[in-house]
Amino acid sequence: MSALLPVGTTLQFQGVSGPVTVVRLLGGGGQGQVYEAVYAKERVALKWYFPRCIAKDLGLEQRLRECIRATSPNQSFLWPMALLSLPFETASRLSIPPESFGYMMALRPADYVGVHEHVGGHLQISVRNVLRACFFLAEAFHELHLKGLCYKDISLGNLFLQPQSGRILICDNDNVDVDGRDLGCAVGTPGFMAPEVLLGRMKPGASSDQFSLAVLMFRLLTRHDPLKGKLELQIRCLDEPARRRLYGEDPVFIFDANDERNRPDPLDHAAALLTWPIYPAHLQALFQQTLGAGMKDPSRRVYTGQWKTGLARTLDQRRLCPDCGQEVFRDLEQASLCWACGGPLNPAPRFHTARGSVAAQPDNELHPHHFDPLASERIDMPLAIVEAHPVKAALLGLKNLSDETWTAELENGESSPVEPGQRCNLSLLVRLRTSLGSIELIR
Amino acid sequence: MAFPDVQLSKRPLHFIYLCDCSGSMQANGKMQALNQAIRQSLPGMAEVARQNPEAKVLVRAVSFAHQARWHVAEPTPVDQLQSSWVDLQAEGLTAMGEALRLVAGVLRTPPMEQRALPPVLVLISDGAPTDDFEDGLRTLMREPWAQKAVRLAIAVGHDADLDTLQQFIGAEPSSAAVPPVAMPPVAGLAAGGDRLPGEPVPRSGRRPLQASNATSLAQYIQWASTAVVGAASMPVSQVGIPSTAESNVPLPDLPPTVIGQVVW
Ligand SMILES: Nc1ncnc2c1ncn2[C@@H]1O[C@H](COP(=O)(O)OP(=O)(O)O)[C@@H](O)[C@H]1O
Ligand SMILES: [Mg+2]
Repeated sequence: MSALLPVGTTLQFQGVSGPVTVVRLLGGGGQGQVYEAVYAKERVALKWYFPRCIAKDLGLEQRLRECIRATSPNQSFLWPMALLSLPFETASRLSIPPESFGYMMALRPADYVGVHEHVGGHLQISVRNVLRACFFLAEAFHELHLKGLCYKDISLGNLFLQPQSGRILICDNDNVDVDGRDLGCAVGTPGFMAPEVLLGRMKPGASSDQFSLAVLMFRLLTRHDPLKGKLELQIRCLDEPARRRLYGEDPVFIFDANDERNRPDPLDHAAALLTWPIYPAHLQALFQQTLGAGMKDPSRRVYTGQWKTGLARTLDQRRLCPDCGQEVFRDLEQASLCWACGGPLNPAPRFHTARGSVAAQPDNELHPHHFDPLASERIDMPLAIVEAHPVKAALLGLKNLSDETWTAELENGESSPVEPGQRCNLSLLVRLRTSLGSIELIR
Repeated sequence: MAFPDVQLSKRPLHFIYLCDCSGSMQANGKMQALNQAIRQSLPGMAEVARQNPEAKVLVRAVSFAHQARWHVAEPTPVDQLQSSWVDLQAEGLTAMGEALRLVAGVLRTPPMEQRALPPVLVLISDGAPTDDFEDGLRTLMREPWAQKAVRLAIAVGHDADLDTLQQFIGAEPSSAAVPPVAMPPVAGLAAGGDRLPGEPVPRSGRRPLQASNATSLAQYIQWASTAVVGAASMPVSQVGIPSTAESNVPLPDLPPTVIGQVVW
């Protein structure tokens, strides 16, 4: 691929005060090219548009300006930071069309991979981190929608994932628009587009984002497509007209609560049949609502805030099967069976707080929203985490991640302080007293 | 404690090169340029295949000279082809019609799967057929999978029979009497070449792509094996009105390319 900008040179762009060194071409897509660059001693990314893209998308520059002014909804976006163009003389000297422009954004760190690596089965990742990625997705679009903006083109292509943490980064934010205004030409990606958008009956907006978000999370959680069931098997050649039928004209969720026409095939859709039962009924119900009643009626789609609540609750329910070690997400107070090995699961030890119930299992965390009725769910600032003893793995402790000393009340009636950074042995614990409220251990 | 080792079931995407290996391809290093272009395109094609969880990209190649024969007969995963590609050799006539009949034979079910993605057929030629092309094309187009296929043609040099290549692609949806694609300009700038200044460049894969030099040949092969494979297998972001019924696979824009030196 040939580079639009001269690699290895330092340029003075309009839009930023200092010089920018173009280091190398990272990749190109349909709209332009992305470069690694250095600005003010920091490594940044620079997107430069093809002239034909600028000519086709007349609202692009205005949308970018407004995005930059609005600032990033949260840290999950590779948000445009500055609009860049070249002075006329520089552009003509370098044979770059003078009307060209681009923008600067943060550089994606090397340990983030495209989510297609996960969906394609090329990645080792825990179910917990896939659920965390979904939470971060819901949170990102929650913040975006709260700003009155919409994204329009949610799909696998614009999302990066850090497998060790579940953290995400969303790129390609140049279609972001004020919800309902439609200053732009992106409509979305077939397979992710809401049916009314695919059929051209509605412009994309926040409610079609809610649909696409559900599809994307389903694809991450199951490694399967929510609309590919028996109806897909009737399609010989999967081309655009076929996709229009499958995703637009007669779309049926494979796990629709009422319509069984599109159930997964045991052979061709084995991934869906294996992974769907991993998730608790309350989370499944959110998919059934958005992809059921919400399929035809945009007002029935689950809001980003409801997804955050449902996903955070699912993470709280996480425990490890004593037989096979797999992660299980089931009601903690009831006996059930492991989805992976079929082994029996007894009610699990759990922490009760004023606002939550969290399984006492390695890596599970307590967060401010477990205590404070006004705090909305966040999973990136834990107050405590369950850790196994470095030598005796069967021994679990709760590590105090706050900056206050807690008091542990033990079974023998004694109490003992738990300093920040210390772990409290769960085998003797009754409850912890903290300034936020108490943490009861239920066995 | 890992995510279960499952994935979305994949549909095959059959990608078939039909390569002119007639004697004229020997001239001016054209044969070597084509071999190089195909080899160089394989890593990018493998990357597109990997990025698409829904497709299994399988490559084959037919060569045609005094007769047509399978150069790569087994549908081969693209990452395996990188180590096993054997260079094409030029000799003899241009049995293009026979090549189309050969391809027709594999687009029938069976051996073609019941369910697949639209196949991609790329015809590359520097001359005119010396056998019954019309009969070959009729045989091919009787196959429903051939009708569904994305059919691209690359004209190597200036002596290729553009009318024949256009017949292979099929009539253009909108205007019939448009000239073949000249080299696209540098990043949208007005470019030299045989166009008049200011004349818009026709840009569409629905016409034969004219590769007048090794650089442009490599760029077109690259485009076919990455952007077109992507479009045929994986839905991409759409702009404007969704799914305009121009064809069953929306063809991506041709890449903005650099005009190299004319070497033949
Ligand atoms: N901030 C970034 N840091 C690193 N790589 C990036 C960044 N943004 C985009 N890329 C890479 O650049 C390529 C093209 O980006 P993209 O914005 O998707 O282009 P297009 O919209 O034209 O498809 C992709 O391979 C993507 O991974
Ligand atoms: Mg993109």
